[in-house]
Amino acid sequence: MPSDKIILPDAVGEWRLEGPPRRIDETNIFEYMNGGGELYLSYHFGRLLVYEYKDREDNDLLVEIYFMKESRDAFGLLSLDWGGEAVVLNAPEDDRSGTSVVPPRRALYGQGLLRAWSDNVYVRIIASRDKPGVKDVILRLGKTIAAGRSDPPRPELFKAVRPAEDSPWQIRKDRTAYFYSHLVLNSLYYLSHENILNLGADTEAVLVTFEKEQVGEAKRAVRLLVIAYPDRDHASKAWEDFSAAYLPDRKGRAIPGSGKENQGLFSIEDGWLGTKLVSRHLALAFECPDPESAREILSRSLF
Amino acid sequence: MKIRKSVVTRRDFIRGTVGATLGATLFGAEGLQGIVRTNGRSKVFIVRDRAVMDASQNVDKDVLKSMLQKILAGVTGENDMKAAWRTLFGPGDVVGLVPTPLMNPTHDELIEIITDSLVEAGIPAGNIRNAQGRSVDLESITALICLPGLKAHWLTGIGTVIKNYILYSGAPRNYHYQDSAKLGEIWLLPRVKGKTKLILVDALHPVCDKGPQFDPRYRWPYYGLMGGTDPVALDAVGLKIIQAKRDELRGEPWPISPPALCVEAADKVYQLGTSDLKNIDIKTIGWTEGALV
Repeated sequence: MPSDKIILPDAVGEWRLEGPPRRIDETNIFEYMNGGGELYLSYHFGRLLVYEYKDREDNDLLVEIYFMKESRDAFGLLSLDWGGEAVVLNAPEDDRSGTSVVPPRRALYGQGLLRAWSDNVYVRIIASRDKPGVKDVILRLGKTIAAGRSDPPRPELFKAVRPAEDSPWQIRKDRTAYFYSHLVLNSLYYLSHENILNLGADTEAVLVTFEKEQVGEAKRAVRLLVIAYPDRDHASKAWEDFSAAYLPDRKGRAIPGSGKENQGLFSIEDGWLGTKLVSRHLALAFECPDPESAREILSRSLF
Repeated sequence: MKIRKSVVTRRDFIRGTVGATLGATLFGAEGLQGIVRTNGRSKVFIVRDRAVMDASQNVDKDVLKSMLQKILAGVTGENDMKAAWRTLFGPGDVVGLVPTPLMNPTHDELIEIITDSLVEAGIPAGNIRNAQGRSVDLESITALICLPGLKAHWLTGIGTVIKNYILYSGAPRNYHYQDSAKLGEIWLLPRVKGKTKLILVDALHPVCDKGPQFDPRYRWPYYGLMGGTDPVALDAVGLKIIQAKRDELRGEPWPISPPALCVEAADKVYQLGTSDLKNIDIKTIGWTEGALV
């Protein structure tokens, strides 16, 4: 069981801790951050401790420690934005999960904001003013929080997506995200305000962006959404609901000659949509330029 | 999950059928008849001044006051600030100011300038109230000034004008899911409807992603103040600015996601104003570099 005991110093350099942390749970998270609370609740939010430091000029340094149910929840929060400078808080990063569809990062820093994943904890440390020396202070606090905590591997679901060095479609790792909620999906790639894929706390999903170089044109991007449902029945129901909402005209057809009735190709307004349903997994490839690309992208989901 | 009969999807945006699908989704096909309409032209004023903030983001109140004066002149036709306020409010009005309180909040300096200049224009100080929040006594307030900060929002695409009254609903979480398109209905509540005399959008330091939670990497100095009387037009122009900044940051198209259904619905369904940029006259005053419109 991950430890929830974190003791922050009373002072770091010129910065002084203002007092005991503010405690936020699911009953008051919306008072603290309005609609931002939905994001954390969707990742199995436990509680949040908010510490405030001030310097001699009365600038603020806010330390937010989010205690999530599992490590994968904290990882998912970090995965929503891989931008920023990679920094090391604990042990140097390795890639024990054996996946290369996501950057090997656990902590990212940019313009006075540190975001980090440390076991079941997600950390945000933000300075109201990005003045000289503040980065060092933020990293010291981040290392204090991460010290002694384990570094579990990334979620198993990433193993369901295969990189391929010899393919023209290469994975854009810094666009890969892990989540459970359709609200999060919509913030990354909009499908519908309704939950047409039946996403929720008992499902998990990865969104992977593939890019292809094009001569004389901008890169072409397609998205592969892979969802794991609790069981086959849930996956089948999700496919039915999705197709009713997203493909009411059903202009598509099964892939000719593929012999795979579980796969489908649909020509819609923004390209070809590839679909694959196997057991409890559903894969959807969006905005593919042609049927061959849709088959290629679907083949990168390993189920 | 029960899928509604008409569901707005990504495909509707590509086909350009969002308005019709939204109407059917929110009211049913029969209720749609006579609801969808085309609005007239609207005006949005954008005043920018590079001197309004220094490198440390400290606000120069004199410069900001001058920017406010220019907005008021555009909206009311009165160059004198007192006279401009008097076209909007009388001494008997109880004026509610509705700023954004959290995560990239409306600058205090703007609220102070508005309050002071309203008093100078003859509105008793006791009749000027903070009107943001669930527990505001809206019955006693006769006029509102909507004062949001310009920012993207991870649930609604934009979290600026239309969304600024969400706490008046008493149940803001109801608007976080598929019903975010219904945010416009809050403006039609009896205790809210018709009271908004002016909208001023604090665009000094907008946020183009991750709102409402603040991430400094997506905040940039725009040095702007936006104003007008059409809440939908102001959000539509705000969306244009945010979208342009996102594309600029990434060097490639980076669509606002989710798309701001609430703005489309506020126009097509709730008839609060104009969302079509072709029907909005954008008047820019002052510094033009990086205006993004």
